Amino acid sequence: MNFSFLPKYWPYFNYGAVVTLIVALCVVILGSILGVLIAFAQRSKFRPLVWLAKIYVWIFRGTPMVVQIMIAFAMMHISAPNFRIGILTVDMTRLIPGIIIIGMNSGAYVSETVRAGINAVPKGQLEAAYSLGIRPREAMRYVVMPQAIKNILPALGNEFVTIVKDSSLLSTIGVMELWNGATTVASTTYITKEPLLFAAAYYLLMTSVLTLAIQAYEKKLNKGGKTGV
Amino acid sequence: MSEAIISIKNLHKYFGENEVLKGIDLEIQQGEVVVIIGPSGSGKSTFLRTMNLLEEPTMGVVTFEGVDITDKKNDIFKMREKMGMVFQQFNLFPNMSVLDNITLSPIKTKGLSKAEAEDKARDLLVKVGLPDKADAYPQSLSGGQQQRIAIARGLAMDPDVLLFDEPTSALDPEMVGEVLAVMQDLAKSGMTMVIVTHEMGFAREVADRVIFMDGGVIVEQGSPVEVFEETKEDRTKDFLSKVL
Repeated sequence: MNFSFLPKYWPYFNYGAVVTLIVALCVVILGSILGVLIAFAQRSKFRPLVWLAKIYVWIFRGTPMVVQIMIAFAMMHISAPNFRIGILTVDMTRLIPGIIIIGMNSGAYVSETVRAGINAVPKGQLEAAYSLGIRPREAMRYVVMPQAIKNILPALGNEFVTIVKDSSLLSTIGVMELWNGATTVASTTYITKEPLLFAAAYYLLMTSVLTLAIQAYEKKLNKGGKTGV
Repeated sequence: MSEAIISIKNLHKYFGENEVLKGIDLEIQQGEVVVIIGPSGSGKSTFLRTMNLLEEPTMGVVTFEGVDITDKKNDIFKMREKMGMVFQQFNLFPNMSVLDNITLSPIKTKGLSKAEAEDKARDLLVKVGLPDKADAYPQSLSGGQQQRIAIARGLAMDPDVLLFDEPTSALDPEMVGEVLAVMQDLAKSGMTMVIVTHEMGFAREVADRVIFMDGGVIVEQGSPVEVFEETKEDRTKDFLSKVL
């Protein structure tokens, strides 16, 4: 094993990981917002909105993410200055379409999570609210959503872990994140295996830490008692 | 006699092809305690749930305090403020404390201040015998306690009628008594109540009128003595012989 590249090229991995985490964070926020909007669109009484939401989910879940990323980069022309993070220069004209398209993809998956989280709240909760004269909008806001969020949050954590991994696909459009950093090091040093293995270990470390954090959070939620009957 | 508080005319309810309620007429008077009994699947719960439109009738008219609540032009949510409901599964909001459960609707729908609503809630907690549970969360309470809180929550809206959908069916036997005691107090205080239950002893003791339903129709009704002791219909006799 030849890890002689590490002392010199260490920053490629560290700063690459930072970019990866920034992407994942932005994507989860965007994906959550879109996911909630799509989930509510699917519950709408206005049929065209329901169909639109269904078509959206169908397309994003039915095509490969790498295909979506390359099409998005080809279609979105964004002018923005580069930003530097440590030794890495991140090209915003690539990063922004990348975040948007993974966010849109994530929104499709999150919408299913949100839908399931809302459906898991027992029907009797809504009926109890209605029987007290509370209107649907307020029943949703004060009674159903707080319970649904409890169901949804752990799943959103898992979505974050997934995105940390999937963001590596942004290397295909030249975003300087962890995987791109690793392949750059490999091609610069002609050390073919070890930089890639090192990046893999780095991903594993990040996803493991995140997973442990989610599990600890879930445990805390469960201690607070299960919702519903 | 003044006008009925609830008046139901020619009520039919279908679930798909299945006709669950097959033409029901009923008038409930102010202050009356009406107990509905019958075998499972007789449509008694569905019938109760049409009274506050949790189930929409397929056909027929439900009038509450002179207002046709089946008419879409009338605001059902405004009407529901005056008709509380207690469910078999309690349906307390698990994300809120007992106090918040009771005060949510008075604050949101009636515009009571938090202080007013909480004062009232504490009075009601005394009334149902749980004055020290204001800050507890539902999941820490027994079924009987949860159901008494649910009754307090319904009462917090100052309803003109309370609907009970099998309020003791999900309780452990030793907790049935405490809930029935609260309901008995309510009945004595003159509250109009419609109760679907399997508690025949309670029906006999508290009801002004007992209604026996089977197959989606009212088979027989009358005072507890008339229904339980001077039973006329064979279907009622058959049912009572199985449950008494």
